[in-house]
Amino acid sequence: MPDIHDIISGSPFGRFMGIETRIDEQGVLAILPARDNLIGNTSIPALHGGAIAAFLEITCLLQLAHETGSTAPARTIDFSVEYLRPGRPEATYARAKIRLMGRRVATVHAEAWQRDEAKPVCLVQCHFRLPGSRG
Amino acid sequence: MSWTSDRAPMTRDSNDELPEAAANWAGAHASQMVTHAPYAVALGMRYLSSSPGRGSILLPWRADLAGTDGSSIVAPGAVTALIDHTCGLAIMAGFGMAANPATLDLRIDHMRPAAPHTDITCAAHCYRATKTIAFLRAEAWDASPDDPIATAQAAFILNRREG
Repeated sequence: MPDIHDIISGSPFGRFMGIETRIDEQGVLAILPARDNLIGNTSIPALHGGAIAAFLEITCLLQLAHETGSTAPARTIDFSVEYLRPGRPEATYARAKIRLMGRRVATVHAEAWQRDEAKPVCLVQCHFRLPGSRG
Repeated sequence: MSWTSDRAPMTRDSNDELPEAAANWAGAHASQMVTHAPYAVALGMRYLSSSPGRGSILLPWRADLAGTDGSSIVAPGAVTALIDHTCGLAIMAGFGMAANPATLDLRIDHMRPAAPHTDITCAAHCYRATKTIAFLRAEAWDASPDDPIATAQAAFILNRREG
């Protein structure tokens, strides 16, 4: 079983984002602590949509590593984000669910929330090329 | 639909913000879209150019943007943020600050990984906008716009009332 913390600490961008992780019975819980340089719009203020999307993409990769047992990074094929609510400048949480684990491609959905898990701020659906697959 | 069409796309509720005013704003202030957004600054984005409905931003290579240690390839998440921000720039360059755009959805296809140690350029085009929604396409590339690393399609909501 790969150590999820090692994956973040081995990713310059993961460190830049300041992502923290916990593992529980549901899988990987990713945490994006609030930081001033994640703000996109200072007048609202709100987290940058790109920061939330990047956080969710990493959450998907962590859940894939957790379930496949491989630390070799999967490659993003496509990535579709829906923004439901503005992200307040506070801690954001995310979980990913692997909807299909194929031989070459995985379909992964993830969502991010803040105070209330029932009120997600952002949803993503993505496909990943799994490591070790050719072509 | 061309951006310069005089039909509905540029029509707004009030008359005090005409496209010319927006264009003037774009000329004077569009670069602030990059310099005044903390996350864009933190990633090192640099304003390149804009005109009504169009914008482009550079993401210079930096080691702490790599996806994994030793790969020296920009993380896809950083490219996502670049594309999202460039779409925002294209809208602001067309409508000015008052458009107050927020991303509704964004879909990115990653054609290939970027080459190691390369800057990424993104260009976005708002090809259609109503009073409420702006539709955009964007591309990001390392060496040449003819060989993109990622293409994107986005919809933004405009003219929200804050609060």
